Amino acid sequence: MELAYYPGCSLKASSEIYDVQCKRVLSAIGINLHELDDWNCCGATSASKMDDFLAIAMPARNLGIADASEYAELVIPCSACYSRMLVAQKVLESNRSLLDEINGELSNKVIGRTRILSILEAIRPVVNSGDLAQRVTRKLEGLKPACYYGCMQTRFPYGVTVPDDVENPQGMETILETLGATPLDWSYKTDCCGASAAVNDNETSITLMSKIMKDAIARQANCFVTTCPLCQLNLDAYQEKVRTTYGIAQSMPVYFITELIGVAVGLPPKDLGVDRHFVDAMVLLRELNLYE
Amino acid sequence: MTTVLEFRPDQASSLAGEVMARSGQNLNACYQCRRCASGCPVGEETGYVTPDRLIRMIVLGKREAALDNPLVWKCVSCFTCGTRCPNDIMTARIVDTLKKMAKEAHVPPLSPRVAAFHDSFVAAAKRVGRLNELEFMGRYEWKNTLRSLAKLKFTEVFEEQKNQAGLGLTMLRKGRMHFRIQKIKGKQEFRRLITKGGERARDLSKSPASQE
Repeated sequence: MELAYYPGCSLKASSEIYDVQCKRVLSAIGINLHELDDWNCCGATSASKMDDFLAIAMPARNLGIADASEYAELVIPCSACYSRMLVAQKVLESNRSLLDEINGELSNKVIGRTRILSILEAIRPVVNSGDLAQRVTRKLEGLKPACYYGCMQTRFPYGVTVPDDVENPQGMETILETLGATPLDWSYKTDCCGASAAVNDNETSITLMSKIMKDAIARQANCFVTTCPLCQLNLDAYQEKVRTTYGIAQSMPVYFITELIGVAVGLPPKDLGVDRHFVDAMVLLRELNLYE
Repeated sequence: MTTVLEFRPDQASSLAGEVMARSGQNLNACYQCRRCASGCPVGEETGYVTPDRLIRMIVLGKREAALDNPLVWKCVSCFTCGTRCPNDIMTARIVDTLKKMAKEAHVPPLSPRVAAFHDSFVAAAKRVGRLNELEFMGRYEWKNTLRSLAKLKFTEVFEEQKNQAGLGLTMLRKGRMHFRIQKIKGKQEFRRLITKGGERARDLSKSPASQE
C-alpha cells in the first residue's frame, strides 16, 4: 500500500522517534509512506485560538500539496495535525468563497480529493486482511496496555466523520490483540492529558494526567500505548512529576503503537528509539522476553 | 443574597449575536441539561463557570463576565462538551471565539501564560512555515520573563527557568531536542497566503460563512 504522509513539526523535533517508527514499521508491514513535498505547520490548536483564517489556511496549503500528489490517501500520525487537516478539508468543502480566497494564493490548489487517514485507519486494512497476524514473529504475551487515545482521535470541533467509537474507540485494541497483547478496558482512554497545558498551565495538566494514571494502574495495566506525539510526550516527560505530586508508586512506560508493532514483527527496539523515552521503556520489554 | 439581573435587551442580543455568528454555534438551542459541565475535565478548576453557565452568561448579555472568566483560559480544547451536547453546541468553539473577542477588546488575559503560548506558537510557525520548538519556547519564555520582570517577580523568573532547564536537559540527554532549523521552501507563497489572504478573510471571519 502506498500512502502520502504528513509528519508535522513535532515528528521532526521532540518526537522524531515517531517519524522514524512510522516509516520503518509501516514499511515492514507493507505500507510505504511518501512524505508530502514542502509541507508546512498545520497551526495546531493555537491558530484556531488566534485567527479563524489561519486555522484553515495553514492546513489548506498542505491539502493542496496532497491533492496534487499521486496518492489518494494521506496518513497523519499526529492527532493535532490529523484533526486540523480534517477540519480544514471539511470547512473548505462547504465554504466556496473561503476556498476561492485560499486557492487564489496557492500553486497547488485544494480540490478535496485526498482521503485523510489517522495512523490507526492506515493500519486497519493490514489487520483485517490477516497480514499483520502473519508477520508477527514475537507475540506480545504479558503486555497489558491501557490504550490511550486522548482527545483528537475521536472528538472534533466540527462535524467530521469519526472513524471509531467516539467514547470507547477500539482501533488500538484490535491491533494489540492481533499482536498477542491483552489490552484492558478502562475509563480514561479518551480523557484529556492537558496537551499544551503541560507547558502553560502545568498544575491543571498534572491533575488531569494523575487521573489517567490512577485508573490505568487500578486496572492493572503495565504500560500506556498512544498514537499522539503530544500525549506520549506529556505522559512520559511529566510522569515523574505526576507520581511525586499525587503519591503514585508505579511508573509506566508510554509506547507509541508503532513501537509495539515493530517489536512484534521483529524490529530491534533500539533502532526505533524505544531507549529514548523519559520513563524507561526497555525494561518491560526485557522482562517479558520481547527482545534480547 | 440574590443578585437581581439587570436586563438590557440591546446588549444581550448584540453579544449573543456576535458570539453565535463568529463561533457558528446556536446558543439558543441550549436547554441547560449540563451534560457539557459533567464531562468538562477542568470543571474543578473553573469554579462557578461551567460551559452551560458560560452560554447562559452570553445569552443574558453579560459581556464583561463572558470575556473575562476562568473557563475561557482553562479550557483544554478536548471537545468533550460539544461531543456530548444533545444540541450539538461546541462550547470549546465559543471559548475560542471569546478568547479572540477578549483580545480585540484589550481585556487582559486571566492567564497570560496561555495567551503567550498561543501567540508564540503562531508567531514562530508563521515566520518560517514550520514550528521549531526551540524558537517557539524561546519566544514563549521571553514573554513570561518580561512579564515577571515588569512586576519585579524575580523568584518567578528563577523558578520558570529552573523548571524549563530541567526538562530541556532531560530532552537533550534522551536525544529529543533538535537544533536543526526546519523551514519550508515555499516561504513566499506561505507568507502571501497568510497575509494577503488573511486580510481579505478578516471580514469573512466575522461572518458565520467561515465557520460552517
